Amino acid sequence: CSKRRSSGRIHANIAAGAVVCVESEIRGDVTIGPRTVVHPKARIIAEAGPIIIGEGNLIEEQALIINSYPENIMPDTEGVEPKTMTIGINNVFEVGCVSQALKIGDNNVIESKADLGKNVILTSGCIVGACCQVNTCEVIPENTVIYGSNCMRRVQTERPQPQTLQLDFLMKILPNYHHMKKTVKGTSTPVRN
Amino acid sequence: MASLLQPDRVLYLVHGEKKIRSSLSTLYFCRYCSELRSLECVSHEVDSHYCPSCLENMPSAEAKLKKNRCANCFDCPCCMHTLSTRATNIPAPLPDDPSKTAMKKAYYLACGFCRWTSRDVGMADKSVASGGWQEPDNPHTQRINKLIEYYQQLAQREKLERDRKKLARRRPYMPLAFSQHTIHVVEKYGLGTRLQRQRPGAPITSLAGLSLKEGEDQKEINIEPAQALDEVEPLPEDYYTRPINLPEVTSLRQRLLQPDFQPAGASQLHPKHKHLLIKRSLRCRKCEHNLSKPEFNPTSINISSECQVLLTLTNPVESITHVTLVGCEEGDPEDINSTAKVMVPTKELVLAGKDAAADYDELAEPQDFQDDPDVVAFRKSNKIGFFIKVVPQREEDGDVTVSFKIRHDFRNLAAPIRPSEEDDAPTEAIWLTHHVELSLGPLVA
Repeated sequence: CSKRRSSGRIHANIAAGAVVCVESEIRGDVTIGPRTVVHPKARIIAEAGPIIIGEGNLIEEQALIINSYPENIMPDTEGVEPKTMTIGINNVFEVGCVSQALKIGDNNVIESKADLGKNVILTSGCIVGACCQVNTCEVIPENTVIYGSNCMRRVQTERPQPQTLQLDFLMKILPNYHHMKKTVKGTSTPVRN
Repeated sequence: MASLLQPDRVLYLVHGEKKIRSSLSTLYFCRYCSELRSLECVSHEVDSHYCPSCLENMPSAEAKLKKNRCANCFDCPCCMHTLSTRATNIPAPLPDDPSKTAMKKAYYLACGFCRWTSRDVGMADKSVASGGWQEPDNPHTQRINKLIEYYQQLAQREKLERDRKKLARRRPYMPLAFSQHTIHVVEKYGLGTRLQRQRPGAPITSLAGLSLKEGEDQKEINIEPAQALDEVEPLPEDYYTRPINLPEVTSLRQRLLQPDFQPAGASQLHPKHKHLLIKRSLRCRKCEHNLSKPEFNPTSINISSECQVLLTLTNPVESITHVTLVGCEEGDPEDINSTAKVMVPTKELVLAGKDAAADYDELAEPQDFQDDPDVVAFRKSNKIGFFIKVVPQREEDGDVTVSFKIRHDFRNLAAPIRPSEEDDAPTEAIWLTHHVELSLGPLVA
């Protein structure tokens, strides 16, 4: 039999209540929490480790969430521990953004075409502005807004509101126009070849 | 297209004060001098003021009063983007019954770019969508106004003295011209507008300015000189040891955009009214004609000038038809729907007869009608295209409708030949007149 990769699951573990369109690409060991909406053409790729996405997230079209190998490590190197990428609740990944950050907290907004590097850690209430590239090695403090072509920063006094209205609307409307991926209830056993 | 693609591939040489080479899309052409002009060979004049976000046009006098700021729109103090008004529902006690709460709308200002809100600086939500926002008052306004008045008076006095000196040298019947120097002195303290103001009982002519305007009270404005203080507030003790809260420190640009306060802390950055922009008109320096004059209100452009419409007439019969068009007269009872004036060609139009074989006959002789090119656009076998001029009368939302009368000759070939004693008279042509109404579609704004 073929050698199994360290990432066990092949099918994504989509909780009941999540709305994941069939046209989205989900590869590897991905767990998606309830009330999360994944638009068509969104890509969630767990290459170098599993991705765990919490509830109430909104992942829009052409967003790319990828848990990739660090640049200097070949994919076939042995002894590399798979790192889990954790994404909290109520985050918004707008159209076309790229996120490789390993740890994202709650209530963050990553605006269109933003680019988060591998070494950034977002806490809560952060807003990464459109087209901003953040690839520093740091923990972004809470309620930070990164905006502008020079990635200026400021702190806002209140965190961005969770997009409950939008989520409810999408959960009603998307199934009318798209097929959904099957949801799996509870923990599932890894599928063996 | 040069402005979109490769703007510098094709350059034109402009012979002005300097020899400038630039692409055609940045050049102007003076019709009177018949020469190219670039932006450096024309004089730029301020035409009107407008707000870039609400596009409201403001007359220059009003703009000067409001310090060139728009009354409705605000700029984000953090990123200088335009602020938008957002509403939330907050529970508020009903005025009649304090124990019950009803949802009331509260408005706050928010920036879509950097997510700044008016709540960040502690501005309370307002209950009206616009007009509730006030800029904070400058504590030094009174002193500044007093200083300005004092210096304006000083400048006026200086000007009077110079004029008096000049007039003493001239003959009395010669008009006194404002010297360049007096104007400069006057403008030094912004006295320009006050000079134009008509003061009662004292017309602003230079000769009258000699007699020191006794009818009017020359208020002696005294100002206190600025006082130098010996004691300065000491720095706080932890000034050197306190860690800097970087997000709270304002940048130089943010600070200088509010010259009244120049706050050092971001929590004191209040939104300012949006600055007005100007539309400029360009004037050729050689011939003083206007090259480019901007439209006053671009959202309400009407076709107030006439426009040409091309109509096509087809002749269904096989004989030549003569057509005359006549506009409707005033008070024509049939002319009820027209909303525009029409000018129809005065000459008679001749249409060739329908000839089914003409389409297939390549060697057919071209029809020789002497067509006036201003009237007839094209002619093809039994069709003719001609121009009419339309002048819309009202700027309404409905369609532009014109009406006119067509008069043409008609030979009824199907009628039985009347037996008559006239010998072989050809079928008589009768002239028919029809009232035609043409709907040209809506006015383009």
